[in-house]
Amino acid sequence: MTGITLIVGFMIAVQFQTIKEPVVRDTRDTWELREDLINEKKLELQLINEIRSINAKLDEYENETSESKAEVLKDTLKELKQEAGLTEVTGNGIILKIASVNTEILLGEEPGEVTSELLQRLVNELNLYGAEEIAINDNRYVNTTVIREINNVLKMDGNPLNQLPIEIKVIAKDASTAEKLFNYMKVSKSADEFFVSNLLLNVEKPEKAITIPAYSKAVTIHNMEPANTNEGGDS
Amino acid sequence: MWLPIFGLIVGLVFGLLTDIKVPEEYANYLSIAVLAALDTLFGGIRAHLQNIFDEKVFVTGFFFNIVLAASLAFLGVHLGVDLYLAAIFAFGVRLFQNIAVIRSIILKKSNTNSPEKIEKS
Repeated sequence: MTGITLIVGFMIAVQFQTIKEPVVRDTRDTWELREDLINEKKLELQLINEIRSINAKLDEYENETSESKAEVLKDTLKELKQEAGLTEVTGNGIILKIASVNTEILLGEEPGEVTSELLQRLVNELNLYGAEEIAINDNRYVNTTVIREINNVLKMDGNPLNQLPIEIKVIAKDASTAEKLFNYMKVSKSADEFFVSNLLLNVEKPEKAITIPAYSKAVTIHNMEPANTNEGGDS
Repeated sequence: MWLPIFGLIVGLVFGLLTDIKVPEEYANYLSIAVLAALDTLFGGIRAHLQNIFDEKVFVTGFFFNIVLAASLAFLGVHLGVDLYLAAIFAFGVRLFQNIAVIRSIILKKSNTNSPEKIEKS
């Protein structure tokens, strides 16, 4: 009898838990729904474009003769290098300058120092608002870049950034994105945060041709290995 | 008498603590199984009070009812007929009858002033 009641209790409890799951109500209004729809459409478009380009590449691989296969491979390599930040890039963008606040305003306070957190936040914000390529003091910022303090000296991939002013070059996708990025950065939170640390973040007007150098060091990859090439060609 | 209640509480606490959830599509079966279990449980209590309680009948009835109810619901889903309603109806009616009998027995006992009877389960 006890065993049976134990089972009954257990079943009731499980049923309770199953039913208890709250129903998440959709409380978005028309405008939010429309925005979501637009976002999804954009994503769809992007995916379709990607599929198309990949399909085109696939066709190229399949149709061309062996000589031009090397060409296609080279092209792909070039593209990938570009994506990884191993090539020099020129494009529309803005330049940010981090400088110290005027000594008159400081009133005896110490001039500010750039910390890794400030810089990381700034980079995050830039990425959020449409930056494609970033270089800090002409050091290319890539996916594996680390910004941190080593012995109290701010370093980016080992290059010291302890001298003010620091110049940050940013390239956006096109002119209008650069303009947008400029407008965002003018009112960004980062500027306030820099000012709290007695630093000034100057955002310069968008320019047509900003050149960002290639990543100068070897990219170290720990967790990736080349795929097994013996079984290639399935797809 | 207290051991089954203790078992019920332990089962409840155990079920609530383990945070097990049944997938949405099987929730129906579980609800019917719970209903069948409750029906059997109250039937057992009634039989106990009427002194015709048989452990074997109770245990087999418990599992058989649960399996029958669940399979009826399953069959209903596949036939497109809401057969689980039949189970709900049958168990619901039985549940009410059993509880009514239990109530009347308890009332009778309290009227004859012999509510305390030591019984083993």
